[in-house]
Amino acid sequence: MRTLAATIELAVWEALATVPDPEIPAVSVVDMGMIKHVEVDGHEVRVTVLPTFTGCPAIGIIKQDVGAAVAAVRDVESVSVETTFDPPWTTDRITDEGRVKLKEFGLAPPTGEGPVLIGNIGLPMRAECPFCGSTDTRNENLFGPTPCRALYYCASCRQPFEQFKEV
Amino acid sequence: MTSKPLISLLQAYGDDELILGHRHSEWTGFAPHIEEDVAFSSIAQDEIGHATNYFMLLAELTDDDADRLALGRDSSEYRNAVICERANGDWAYTLARHWLYDTADDIRLEALERSASKDLAQLATKMRREERYHLIHADMWMKRVTHGPVEGRSRLETGLSSAFSEALGLFEPIELEGEAVDEGWLPTPSVEMKSAFVERASNTLDELGLPTEVRADLDESAEFVASSSGDLIASPDGGDAKPARPSGLGGRSGEHSEDFIHLWGEMTRTYREHPGATW
Repeated sequence: MRTLAATIELAVWEALATVPDPEIPAVSVVDMGMIKHVEVDGHEVRVTVLPTFTGCPAIGIIKQDVGAAVAAVRDVESVSVETTFDPPWTTDRITDEGRVKLKEFGLAPPTGEGPVLIGNIGLPMRAECPFCGSTDTRNENLFGPTPCRALYYCASCRQPFEQFKEV
Repeated sequence: MTSKPLISLLQAYGDDELILGHRHSEWTGFAPHIEEDVAFSSIAQDEIGHATNYFMLLAELTDDDADRLALGRDSSEYRNAVICERANGDWAYTLARHWLYDTADDIRLEALERSASKDLAQLATKMRREERYHLIHADMWMKRVTHGPVEGRSRLETGLSSAFSEALGLFEPIELEGEAVDEGWLPTPSVEMKSAFVERASNTLDELGLPTEVRADLDESAEFVASSSGDLIASPDGGDAKPARPSGLGGRSGEHSEDFIHLWGEMTRTYREHPGATW
């Protein structure tokens, strides 16, 4: 039989799986690997969140949404939400399910290859077009509309698209 | 424990990021090419985000508020290096400064990853992963402009000749530098980081085949060390004891240029007119 703490912890993780990333609502904070851990002490819950990009203004909203979702879980009486850079959040933390959801949302998932400069102007970050699957793509800009996105163009289906940046 | 040297460090580096981030943000809507409009806006957002994180650590140590630290201080209380506050000038100057600053910042963050402040070390590790994009962006444009049409190269040389010597102000010792080093907050003294910076930047200029005149200012600029009174004086091994206050120094002790006064007025205006406002 499960203890109360274990029951609460399970329910908290279920609740967290419904909290969307405010800028990419197709994925949850759990899909993004942003939840470091959930600690339950009696009826008190402490959630530790790993911020994605340090300049991302969504972190305030994420903390608020996480707190509200956990507070609504049965038997939870108090919630605290903390952030830490230990360990630093990296794109490796995005789950396989999260990667599929990013692609469905129209964002190419990170490839696992960091950015590098080769030659004079090379930006050989690889990205697979989320629309047609082609890898005949080129990076147009290392930066994009949010700190976590880079701009690409697909030479195959001739669509611009964005990639979630490797970090 | 409240450590004054650590406070001094967070203030200086946080101010660098905030002020340069503000300058970069002025390109939003005005960059010569739409992709660079996006790039500079995003880089500005990163730098201001990094400033926010420095100020959050600072606010914890001083029981203050990060917004007040960023926007509610008197102009004399900022400790950023002078190069960060310089008006953007043309895009070539902006590029030269962006490359110099991000090269310097990489050296600084590499040191801070070993800081005795665990929070600061973790923040530095996190920021450095993001800063790779700034470095690549700056390197790419340095190469493009150098190998491009003559006018661009010539403007870049002009930009570098004024920015390079002033970039050394980024390594002007912070207030209480000796203690910051002894207590482990700053694992590498500024003077050592400056040597590493000069070597790395000079190597890149050599690779790019940029003329040596670009670095002339650098060779002439006197070494600086902090005296016990906190005043900057010429290093004894610099030969003649020239009164050394080359352009670009003084920021770490709160001496700023006219450019800063204008920037400060604009940057803090909303906060001053509506104290405590949130947005």
